[in-house]
Amino acid sequence: MSTLDLSRLESSPDLLISQGDDRDSLVISMGPQHPSTHGVLRVMLKLDGETVISSESEIGFLHTGIEKQAENLFWQQTVTVVDRADYLAPLSNSLCYVLAAEKLLGIDGQIPVRAQVLRVIFTELTRIASHLVQLGTHAMDLGAQSIFMYAFEMREQILRIMEFVTGARMHQSWFRIGGLALDVPVGFIDLLDKFIESFPERLSDMRAILEKNVIIMDRLIGVGRISAEDAIAWGLTGPNLRGSGVAYDVRKALPYSGYENYDFDICVHDGGDCYSRFVVRLNEMYQAWRIIKQGRDRFPGGPVVIDDPKIVPPAKTVIQHSMEALIHHFKLVSSGFNVPEGRIYQTVESPRGELGMYVVSAGGNKPWRVRWRPPSFYNLQALGALAPGNLIADLVAIIGSLDPVFGEVDR
Amino acid sequence: MPEQPPVRAERTRTAALLDTLRSALGEDLLEAVSAADMDEAAIGPSALLRAVEILRSAGFNMLADIGVVDHLPLSPRFEVAYHLQIIDAAAKPVVPARFRLRVFPDDADPVVPSLVSIWPNANWAEREAFDLFGIKFEGHINLKRILMPDDWVGYPLRKDYPLRGTDRGFVAGGRQGSVPPVDLQQ
Amino acid sequence: MEMSPHQPYITTKLDEFTAWARTSAIWPMTMGLACCAIEMMSIVSPRYDTSRFGAEVFRSSPRQSDLMIVSGRVSNKMAPILRQLYDQMPDPKWVISMGACASSGGIFDNYAVLPGVDRILPVDVYVPGCPPSPDAVIFAIMQLRKQIEAGGKALVLAKNA
Repeated sequence: MSTLDLSRLESSPDLLISQGDDRDSLVISMGPQHPSTHGVLRVMLKLDGETVISSESEIGFLHTGIEKQAENLFWQQTVTVVDRADYLAPLSNSLCYVLAAEKLLGIDGQIPVRAQVLRVIFTELTRIASHLVQLGTHAMDLGAQSIFMYAFEMREQILRIMEFVTGARMHQSWFRIGGLALDVPVGFIDLLDKFIESFPERLSDMRAILEKNVIIMDRLIGVGRISAEDAIAWGLTGPNLRGSGVAYDVRKALPYSGYENYDFDICVHDGGDCYSRFVVRLNEMYQAWRIIKQGRDRFPGGPVVIDDPKIVPPAKTVIQHSMEALIHHFKLVSSGFNVPEGRIYQTVESPRGELGMYVVSAGGNKPWRVRWRPPSFYNLQALGALAPGNLIADLVAIIGSLDPVFGEVDR
Repeated sequence: MPEQPPVRAERTRTAALLDTLRSALGEDLLEAVSAADMDEAAIGPSALLRAVEILRSAGFNMLADIGVVDHLPLSPRFEVAYHLQIIDAAAKPVVPARFRLRVFPDDADPVVPSLVSIWPNANWAEREAFDLFGIKFEGHINLKRILMPDDWVGYPLRKDYPLRGTDRGFVAGGRQGSVPPVDLQQ
Repeated sequence: MEMSPHQPYITTKLDEFTAWARTSAIWPMTMGLACCAIEMMSIVSPRYDTSRFGAEVFRSSPRQSDLMIVSGRVSNKMAPILRQLYDQMPDPKWVISMGACASSGGIFDNYAVLPGVDRILPVDVYVPGCPPSPDAVIFAIMQLRKQIEAGGKALVLAKNA
C-alpha cells in the first residue's frame, strides 16, 4: 500500500535537496485525488512556504495491465484495449498499433486510399479534440472557467461526428488491421463540412481571448522553461519539444498513412516555457484543421478495407452465398489470423508527442508483446527537473502544459 | 516483408555503425542486423555501456524508450530493448535516425547496467522494467516499484505470471468496506 | 407539501423536506480516474449541463461533497485511497459507479484492476457503458434523486412494483 512515507522522501536521491536549513520546510502530498493534476498523480512536494524546493512524482495509480491484456487477445481484438491507454486521443493509439501490425503482416502497402484518408481525417479530429480538452482544463487550472465551457462545447461537435460514424464518442475502436471497420455513412460529408466551416472562426475566437491575454501571459511566460538540449535529454516529444524550438514532428519526419501528401506546417515556438507550449497547441489545432480540409477535398471512393479474406472478414453479402467466405469468417472470429514472426517499433505523432509501440510477434494469433512508448510517461518525468523553485500555482501550470494522460503513463 | 522505401540518408549512417559496433565489441556482440524498421544490435549486458558510448559519439542523443520483452520458452529469456534517436535540434524539419540495442541479460538473475547517469529519462523506464519484469539495473539511484503497489509480490508482465494475478481476494489497505469482499470461487 | 390558500405557510413532512433539500443540491466530488472522467467533465459542459439539477459544483475536497462518482478503472494501488476518501465524506453520502470498469472491472479482467468498486464501497447506482455517454450519467443522477426521495434503493424498487 502506498502511504506517505516521509523517511523515503528525505533519503531518496531522486530529489534535489536544498543545501540550506530544512527545518521550516513542509512536505505535502498533492494528489492522487486533486482537481489540477489532470488525473491520478501524486506529487510529493517539499515546500518552503509556497515555493517548491523539490518534488517527487508518484505514478501507477491507474495501472491497468493493458500490455498484458493485449498479449491475451487476438490481434484484431487488441484494437479495443489499445484505445483505452491514451483516452483523450483513442484513435492515435489505434493507428499506431494497426500500422505496426500491418507492417508485420506485410500489407501496409495495400491499404486502400479511402481508408488512409479517413484514418488521417479522424486522427486529426482526435488531435483537435484532445487539444481542446488540454486547453480547457489548463485554462481552468489558471482560473479561466469559461474557457473550459467553450472548449468542451467545441469538442462536442467533433464527438458528434465520431458518434455518427463509429457509434461511440470516445474509444471508437474503428480502425482495423487492414483498413477500417465500416465505411462512413451517408451524411458524414455534410457534418464534416459544417465542422470545417465553423471551426476556424471558433478557434480564432479562442485565440483572441487567450493568446494575448495579460493574465495568461503573466502566468505562463517564463514558467517551466526547458532548453532544447534538456528537452532532448529528458526525452520530451510533441508540443513540449516543439515549444523549445525543435522542429520534430513524426508526421513529417517518418510519414505514415499518407501524411506526406498533405500540406501542413510544423508548429514551433522558441520560448521553451509554458506559454510556448500553449501557443504551439493552438497553432496545431489550426494545422490539423488544414489537414482535415485537404482530406475532405481529396475524399476518394473505393473500398475501406483490403480484400484479403485471411485477415479481414468478407462482407456479409458475400458470406450468404459463398461457403469459403463463411469458413474464413468463422476462422477469423474464432481464432484470428497469424502474424509472421518479427518485431517493429512503430511511431505516430499523438497529441502528446511521439507515441511508439514496440510490437513483437512470435508467429501466433496473439501479439507476443505490445510495449508502449508513452509520450506522457517521458514528458511527466521532466516534472522533477522543472518543479523546483516554482510556486505551487506555477507547478499546476507546468503539469497542465506538459499534458499528461495517466491512462498512457500507467497503462 | 514490406517493400523497402528508398534507403534514407539516416539509415546509411546507421549501417556504418553496425560495422563499428562489430569491430569494437567483438564477441560481446551477438548479432547486428538491419531490420525492416531500423538497424539493431543484440548484445550482452557487459557490452551495454561501451555500445552506448559508441552510439553517443555517433550522435545519438535521445533515449526514446526502454522496453522489455519476455521470450519465455526461449533462452535467453529477457530482452531489454533500448530505442535511441538522433534529434538534431537545429534541423528544420528534424528527421531522426534510429537504432535499437537489444540486451539479453541472464535468465535467472537479470542484471543490466543502468543508463540513468547518461540520460535522465532512463530513471522511470528502468524502474518500470524492474517493477514489471524483475530486471535489476546496476547503478540506478532509486530502483523501486513504480506502477504496482509498493508491497506487491511478483513481476506481473513476465510470461509465467498469470493474467488474472495470484491474489483475487483483495481487501483495500486492510480495511473492510461496509460491503465485505466477495469470495469468488473460480 | 401543501400550501394553504390564504396564509403564507407550506405544510409538509420533515422527511419530504429534507429529501427535497438533499436532491436539489447534490455536490459531486472530483473523483475522475480515467476515460470516464472526461465524460464526467462533459456533464458540466454546456450541452449536458448538470447545473440544472443542482449538481454543478464539483468539490475537490471530500469533506464538502455528497456524491462520489467513481469514474474509471480502479487499480489496486488506488483502492485504499478511494476508501479513505469515502470515509472522509460526511453523511449523507452516495456513490455512483460510473462505467463498466468501476462497476465490474470492465474489459480488464487482470491482476491490476479491481473487479468493481463495490468491493470496497457501497454503491447506490451503477452506470453501464465504456464510457457511458453524459446522458447516461445524468440519468444516473436522476435515479439517485429518486432513491433519496424514496429513502433508499429497496424502497424505490418497492414503489415501482
